[in-house]
Amino acid sequence: MITDVLSWGLAALSLWSAWRVFRTDSMMRAAYLLLASFAAVGALLVLLSAEFLGLVLVLMMAGEMTIMVVFMVMFMMNPAGLNPMTMVHQHRAAVAAGIVSFAGLALVGVAGDFPDRPAADEVTTTSALGFELLGDSMLIFQSAGVTLLATMIGAVALTSRGGRFGDAHAGSDAPALAPEATASPAPATDAVEEGAHAAHEHDRHGAEGEAG
Amino acid sequence: MTVWAPAVAAVGVGAALVTGTWAVATLDTAVAGVVAGRGLHLRRAALAPLRRAALLAGRHPVTTERPDAPAWVVAGPLLLALAGAALSALPLAEGLAVADVPDGLVLYGAAMALVMVAVFLHGWAPNSVFPLIGAYRFVAQALSYQIALFLVLLGAALPAGSLGLGAIVEAQSELWNVIRQPLGLPLFLVAGTALSFWGPLALPDGEDLAGGTAAESSGRELLVWRTARAAVLVATAAVAAACFLGGWLGPVLPGPVWMVAKTLALLVILVVPAHVVPRVRIERFVSFGWTILLPLSLVDVFAAGVVALRTST
Repeated sequence: MITDVLSWGLAALSLWSAWRVFRTDSMMRAAYLLLASFAAVGALLVLLSAEFLGLVLVLMMAGEMTIMVVFMVMFMMNPAGLNPMTMVHQHRAAVAAGIVSFAGLALVGVAGDFPDRPAADEVTTTSALGFELLGDSMLIFQSAGVTLLATMIGAVALTSRGGRFGDAHAGSDAPALAPEATASPAPATDAVEEGAHAAHEHDRHGAEGEAG
Repeated sequence: MTVWAPAVAAVGVGAALVTGTWAVATLDTAVAGVVAGRGLHLRRAALAPLRRAALLAGRHPVTTERPDAPAWVVAGPLLLALAGAALSALPLAEGLAVADVPDGLVLYGAAMALVMVAVFLHGWAPNSVFPLIGAYRFVAQALSYQIALFLVLLGAALPAGSLGLGAIVEAQSELWNVIRQPLGLPLFLVAGTALSFWGPLALPDGEDLAGGTAAESSGRELLVWRTARAAVLVATAAVAAACFLGGWLGPVLPGPVWMVAKTLALLVILVVPAHVVPRVRIERFVSFGWTILLPLSLVDVFAAGVVALRTST
């Protein structure tokens, strides 16, 4: 009874916060509403006796959503991503993708054949999960792990300062701090140009004089 | 007893949050007095935090221009609740825990990962420069200590063969983890200081940022935030006592007394550096975290694994 109330409440909380992600106008609120949605799903997993998966979901998402806030704020064009802005774009494609994915998941939910095996109280899923991850499913998870590691190394290589074509900051050296270093060449070029101009005028006058 | 143990332990967690934060404030005041050459006045040090708390509670709250009000309301209580959640998985004595779940260490990890969210919310909410810098600082700080913190705790779980905190304590009945894994406790205390952003690693709330994420806080909000910070420090010390100093195990005295004594001893170790060690710069801590703390914690967990394999076969 309590479990039913809790699971429906958590499901409602998850859906509500997921909906609010797209209705808010703040990067930070969007990311942390998504975290609230994930946390509700994590609590649902705990109710389903998958304590380890539920807690790890919260553990991972807490860090990831915070990193997402920082990156979203960094990459926004409007002043540092700190101003209010809309969280939705490309409406037609988004609506189409939403309908397709909802239909797909609903189809699995309605047409799927779920087993009905209540877990015994003393069953701990953590060790079973460990044997699964390092047993039958090892190839899948190790491949995924190596792929993610390669992605991370690639991202670091792309963003690091040094590369095949020299330092990433080459040609974009900061201006000198002393004012003379940048200010002094300007009068010198002006003087040269004026001198050249004067000489040219003089030549023209001279030529005219000869012709006259 | 067994039926009522969670209820008793829940009262215990509440009492630990209240007396623990008071103990932290008392220790902090006492150590500050000793370092300043005023001598040790425990009674005065115990009363001073209460006076400061009463002052803060009665003070008029000050707000900023267009703050993120919900985030500001949530941040402090969230941090306090996370410390409570961490303590709830912790047994005060054999079988005396709110919920000594088989995945207690993962519960602790999830709660401590959310500390980053609470601090970020607290820094973002006031819509002010110094708190925002403090929030960004803590993201950099958290990413640098988190993996090391969890690896060291996994090392402590290996001899027990379980992620439950009760089982981890019981596995130390012959030899405490502090001796079995000499790297474990020092590394955990460094990472725990960073996690509790205390003393030399109080970078998100640093004095150099005029208080950092708490720069715009005042009145009751500041009181809740300071209490929550102390509560996280208490949770750090209590988990260290359970994972490395054998928790409730000890001769003659009853279990809870040992647990409290060990936690208090670790609190002294955590609080003293705040007054004798200079503040570390954030970029130095990030370099230290990735190049020294993380490799050492990998060595620790590897050595713990080798020992666990040798003893199990």
